[in-house]
Amino acid sequence: MGDIWEGFVEAIKMIFSLDPYVMRITLFTLYICAIATFFGMIIGVPLGSALALYRFRGRKFVVTLVNAGMGLPPVVVGLFVYLFLKRRGPLGFLNWLYTPKAIIVAEIVLAMPLIAGITMAAMQNVNPKLRLQSKSLGAGEIRSTMTLLRENRLSLVAAVIAGFGGIISEVGAAMMVGGNLLLGGEPYTRTLTTATVLEVSKGNSTAAIALGIILLGITVLLVWLMTLIQQGTLLSQPARMARNLISRRRKEAPS
Amino acid sequence: MSVFLSIEGLKHSYDGRQVLEVDSLELIEGEILAVIGPNGSGKSTLLRIINLLEEPVAGEIAFWNGARLSAMSRKEKRELSWQMAMIFQEPLLFKRTVRANISYGLRMHRVCKEERGGKVHEMLRMLGLEEMAERDAMTLSGGEAQKVTLGRAMVLQPRLLLMDEPLASLDVPTRKSLREDISRLVKEMGVTAVYVTHDYHEVLEIADKLAVLLDGRLQQVGKPTEVFGQPANEAVAEFLGAENLFEGSVMSCREGMAEIDIGGTRMEALCVQPPGSPVKVLIHPEEVVLLADSGDAGSARNRLPARVKDVKALGALVKVSLDCGFPLVAYITLASREEMDIEPGRVVTAVVKATSIHVMPYVGSGR
Repeated sequence: MGDIWEGFVEAIKMIFSLDPYVMRITLFTLYICAIATFFGMIIGVPLGSALALYRFRGRKFVVTLVNAGMGLPPVVVGLFVYLFLKRRGPLGFLNWLYTPKAIIVAEIVLAMPLIAGITMAAMQNVNPKLRLQSKSLGAGEIRSTMTLLRENRLSLVAAVIAGFGGIISEVGAAMMVGGNLLLGGEPYTRTLTTATVLEVSKGNSTAAIALGIILLGITVLLVWLMTLIQQGTLLSQPARMARNLISRRRKEAPS
Repeated sequence: MSVFLSIEGLKHSYDGRQVLEVDSLELIEGEILAVIGPNGSGKSTLLRIINLLEEPVAGEIAFWNGARLSAMSRKEKRELSWQMAMIFQEPLLFKRTVRANISYGLRMHRVCKEERGGKVHEMLRMLGLEEMAERDAMTLSGGEAQKVTLGRAMVLQPRLLLMDEPLASLDVPTRKSLREDISRLVKEMGVTAVYVTHDYHEVLEIADKLAVLLDGRLQQVGKPTEVFGQPANEAVAEFLGAENLFEGSVMSCREGMAEIDIGGTRMEALCVQPPGSPVKVLIHPEEVVLLADSGDAGSARNRLPARVKDVKALGALVKVSLDCGFPLVAYITLASREEMDIEPGRVVTAVVKATSIHVMPYVGSGR
């Protein structure tokens, strides 16, 4: 028990002294996940909306793919991205394997179906007449879809957080296609998860615990945000406060 | 009085099942057309087709600007649809403020910000919604919300306003005030309107023209008094809730005046059906006059001895069920009931003018 406690205390010190190694890995991880989530959103939100709003040939097949994609084992995704990106693979000419780009690709493949799936579920729950109403007020296909997305903004935020949360805690794919590399002593493809695995295998529990605490902190923060959004208090609370403030100002102004 | 919209040979079906058939329907500029029919009769489909939200299987629509549905480019469609607005049964507001909801259509029409502000402000004022402008639309009551949807549609200054049962989900007092808002705005702004409902009581006050749609088929179009006075067939009469609807047959017919046999009783009525043809006969209950004795009844041709079977007070009127060889219902005033002492068992004379009897061709079984 003493070891664990000591390691814990050291880890806290490491975090608060902004240990450069730990900080770089943290920032790198956030950077990778942000980019992957962004692209996952760019692809996933339109895909999910299209699947919810339009009937076309092959739609069921794509829906099945998306649903399956929501539960893809990261290691398998890693394996496939590896097979495509390796030197003799179909995309080997890109030379992306063991670079941050490879991790981003793998994480997009993991995050996109999550975002598309949640978007689809949310958009299917909207009253279809709302879209008709929007069109009858002059909106075209794209603008009426945008209106529906806006109506669903909370679910969209939830989708994005779910995507981000899904990939930040993922280790298999990042390890396999990124390689957990240092370049000139600087983390090159080392993320919070892969670094934790490495530190444990080196027997360096202090660093492992520090990295673990940070990862846990980020995850807890995300879960907390999700809960607030689900309960509808995250965005409505500040909005209500702002509105109250404005109306009070208005009332005071004329008097 | 120019034709604003005309529909010819319109047909629509879902999955091979025909849901709508309108041979011919015309709308005059500035009038309110009420389309009535039971649920599932194709009323909403008709609105969506007029609003260009749905493409019919067959048929032609000529719009006010001369455009025809069959020969219309995407751009023309968009321009035309921007001159229409639709209100649905549910309020269907967006999760924004009342003001943002009302300005939604203007934003879609790419109206500039200054103009938008002015128009929205004016509409809020016209509907008395200024106080609520900054409220979240999701917190409104049913009536307030529907009022906002009315404003959201009317702020676009549409040439044609389409309403799909706008009052159906509201309680009675709210209905009344919203109906007044609708007819006021429609008249003030000179908008042509199509109003769809399954409850014709809603529209009798405001409709200039009535169209009856049953099972997807347009049955009759005319002034409300015409449609109620002379339903085109028994299905229409039945849907309009007419009492005193009987089956009969024409015995003889001379110069538009026929003798009709109803369950063994002979009645004279205005009719153009040839002798021998089966007919449906509608006698309006408020046009049945009851006399305490068989005295003078003016020029009325039909005098039937009748026994009072049941008396029911309906507000200011009394519904009297009679047996005069066939069951007949009469509506009389409370005062005349007391004067004549109408009670079950009493024998009276029921008088019906030949002109108060409406004879329709019998369309056989079905409804």
